Amino acid sequence: MRLNYKIIFHFLGLLTLFNGGFMLLSTLVSYLYEDGVTGTLSLASLLTLVLGGVVMLFTRKHNKEMNKREGYIVVAFGWVIMALTGTLPYVVTGSIPSFTNAFFETMSGYTTTGASILNDIEAMPKGILFWRSLTHWIGGMGIIVLAIAILPLLGIGGMQMFAAEAPGPSADKLHPRITDTAKRLWLIYFGYTAAETLLLSVAGMSFFDAINHALCTVSTGGFSTKNASVAYWNGQPLIQYIIILFMFLAGTNFVLSYFAFKGKVQKVIHDEEFKLYFKFIAIFTAIAALLIYFRADVSVSSIEHPMVWGEGESAIRHALFQVLAIVTTTGFVTADYTLWTPFLVVFFFGLMFLGGSAGSTSGGVKVVRHLLLIKNGFLEFKRALHPSAILPVRYNMKAISGDIVFNILGFFILYMLSFIIGALVFSMFQLDFESSIGLAASSLGNVGPALGDFGPVNNYAALPPLAQWWASFLMLIGRLELFTVLVLFTPFFWRNR
Amino acid sequence: MKIIIAGAGEVGFHLAKLLSYESQEITLIDTDKESLTYADTHLDIKVIRGDATSIAILREGKVGLCDLLIAVTASETTNITICVLAKQLGAKRTIARISNTEFIANKEEVGFTRFGIDELISPEALAASEIELSLRQSSFSDTYEFEEGALTMAGLTLSKEASFVGKNVKDAAKIFPEIHFIPIAIQRQGTQYTLIPRGDTIFKEGDNVVFITSEGGAEELCRLTGKKNTEIKNVMILGGTEIGFKAARDLCKKGFNIKLLEGDKERAFDIADQLPNVLVIKSDGRKVDVLDEESIGDMDAFIAVGDNSETNIMSCLVAKSKGVKKSIALVENMDYFELSHSIGIDTLINKKLLAANSIFRYIRKGEVVAMTKLSNMNAELLEFEVMSTSAICNKLIKNVDFPRSAIIGGVIRGNVGYIALGDFKIQEGDKVVVCSLLRSIKGVEKLFL
Repeated sequence: MRLNYKIIFHFLGLLTLFNGGFMLLSTLVSYLYEDGVTGTLSLASLLTLVLGGVVMLFTRKHNKEMNKREGYIVVAFGWVIMALTGTLPYVVTGSIPSFTNAFFETMSGYTTTGASILNDIEAMPKGILFWRSLTHWIGGMGIIVLAIAILPLLGIGGMQMFAAEAPGPSADKLHPRITDTAKRLWLIYFGYTAAETLLLSVAGMSFFDAINHALCTVSTGGFSTKNASVAYWNGQPLIQYIIILFMFLAGTNFVLSYFAFKGKVQKVIHDEEFKLYFKFIAIFTAIAALLIYFRADVSVSSIEHPMVWGEGESAIRHALFQVLAIVTTTGFVTADYTLWTPFLVVFFFGLMFLGGSAGSTSGGVKVVRHLLLIKNGFLEFKRALHPSAILPVRYNMKAISGDIVFNILGFFILYMLSFIIGALVFSMFQLDFESSIGLAASSLGNVGPALGDFGPVNNYAALPPLAQWWASFLMLIGRLELFTVLVLFTPFFWRNR
Repeated sequence: MKIIIAGAGEVGFHLAKLLSYESQEITLIDTDKESLTYADTHLDIKVIRGDATSIAILREGKVGLCDLLIAVTASETTNITICVLAKQLGAKRTIARISNTEFIANKEEVGFTRFGIDELISPEALAASEIELSLRQSSFSDTYEFEEGALTMAGLTLSKEASFVGKNVKDAAKIFPEIHFIPIAIQRQGTQYTLIPRGDTIFKEGDNVVFITSEGGAEELCRLTGKKNTEIKNVMILGGTEIGFKAARDLCKKGFNIKLLEGDKERAFDIADQLPNVLVIKSDGRKVDVLDEESIGDMDAFIAVGDNSETNIMSCLVAKSKGVKKSIALVENMDYFELSHSIGIDTLINKKLLAANSIFRYIRKGEVVAMTKLSNMNAELLEFEVMSTSAICNKLIKNVDFPRSAIIGGVIRGNVGYIALGDFKIQEGDKVVVCSLLRSIKGVEKLFL
């Protein structure tokens, strides 16, 4: 098989160059806040820019022909290259001296997971913290294009039907309209970020904290500039409500946001996935809030819970915040859900598999896949009674072809399998049962906080180095909807066509 | 009237036949020599062999002088082209047969009259609505409503238990003094011709009788003939054809439970996609096991509208044997059509016949308010409006010199329907329903001019 290596490297070079550009932005922040790492940070960005520039220069004469195989490689290796070059600011400035730790932190950033190995976040230079948040934001940007334009073309996990403007799964070559679609959606993404920064500043956050939290919310990442995460603002409910709103928006399909801005509100309200996403959040919040209010002993937590607006409001707010943080896979923390009640521990563990909407920046299985699987499950009963009947699964009033349902079933099974294997591998590093399954579910779903020793109030610093690599791998495959990465491990991908 | 018919298929031929009885001047154009020769030898018409989209051929048929051009070839686009050309060449009115019902639904919007087509006829849509109509009054094999139900025409087969079997029409009327119905046509079992009943005509078992009833009379008829008007809820449709699809869609909207059988998997999927409330089964209807699996015995009606007439008939017979009360089959072949009742199927539908009748009705629109052909019979049901100049105006019915092969079924005055007997006086503005054999239509028409 002849791969068009030149164009692959050209794209990877472009991504590196792009990464370097963002590093320059962090350098600027570092300069403005005079955090003392401006010199080393500019060195890191220079290195990245040169690397990207050189690769692009050498591959500038390339054949523009690009098909699915090159697409898979660019997507998977693109993420890896970003994570590799993204370690430079940490390593060069010495903020995170270990390469393994730095790679974990960047991979956690680009996959919008938000798991951190940093013990004292507040001690980090501002430029580095900004870079850390930026990795989330860049990753979120990548995911939007990926989910809306590229995955449908590659026909992964039934994604072809979710994208409103995808030209269909049959197209072999990447479509030029991707750029148009992506630009419009990035505008919304950028708009959300700017709006949240503004609102958070007005609500009383410092500008630096506001912009960092905005970058990490719209990308459903979850890095915070505070050691206590968003729990730092437990005394300021307004700030938390603003973050709640933007977590919800970031977990919604960006195409729907686009429709809403164009005034097609009907299309949003009648979207089945959106309806279910909304219902899930409402129901789960109600369950969690009732249990917190009546059963949980909040005082055992190491996190302070000043109930400025009363106990009831506090229960609802923390329930809503944590449900959204887990469902949208943002992973911010305002309370330690592992200390509420045993039921809520299992409950939040289950939520890690839910995920937000397709076409959002959230990870996990995604609501639409659950929706179609549930519908298909119910139809199986009917099919048993009418063996010859044609009973297609319907989504947004349209019948879904059996292939797509199979695709989704395949995705779900592969997801569960990856989770089990993931947990097994973690347990080989002497991690206990709860920590192992928590880590596997959290990494695969790009959530952030896990269970046991890696719960919401802990961080991943205690994770053995090899386990960090394994977690990074799970984050990557989870982020890229499994197939994109795993297909590279199949023999027929590399065999002659 | 000078009429050009383009297309000597079954619709064209049937139309030519209907119109030639009225001594209209008819020119039939087609490319197929055989069907033209057949029409030429059987009907009193002029034929031209050639492509009707050719201007020379149209000129040869004297399109400039014709009052009406009817394009009923098998191809929709050809029909549209012919109509557009003919209109430009001087035809006064044009009718095109089409299959895409979107055209009918958006007739005003697109403005078909503006580019030369006055009327659009879709045999498939007509067949679908015919199915719906015949399901609404299930015990009758044939029903038709005048003026929104003021008078209803109902056809039924007399069973042994029917109380007036063996009696003549006059005696039957005496047994039931509260009479609100009148028989207007009878077809004897096993015969091919239609009778217009008189006072001394005797009802026999197995007769296919058409009655006119006033409002509420339909239920009474059921009682008298020993048949229950069974309510229809569960319907099975065989064949996801254009007609099957439309019937399923329309019936579903009316609240029927529909199961639709379609043999082609992709077509079945498409239908399931578009009709969420219809249960689509992948089956061509020839496997009785599948029909049983879908509990055909619980169905109230079975409608076979597949592409193959023989399969339609056979599957209707299977349905009958499983106890389905009402069966409707789509039959393309006119020869089978005549045999309808002896094979035991309640209603046969022929879309070409429907199209021909529909066009015929359109031509008569000027004088006749509504008109239908009695299925399985060679008789027409007409509705006339009485004008002050009409010969029949202000006369008792018994004093009118009415043609022997025609009968007045009822009169609608205001919005109320009356069953008119001999001493009923016709007034101006009345709408009169007449049943007439084809050969007497002209004679009846004269009375109302």
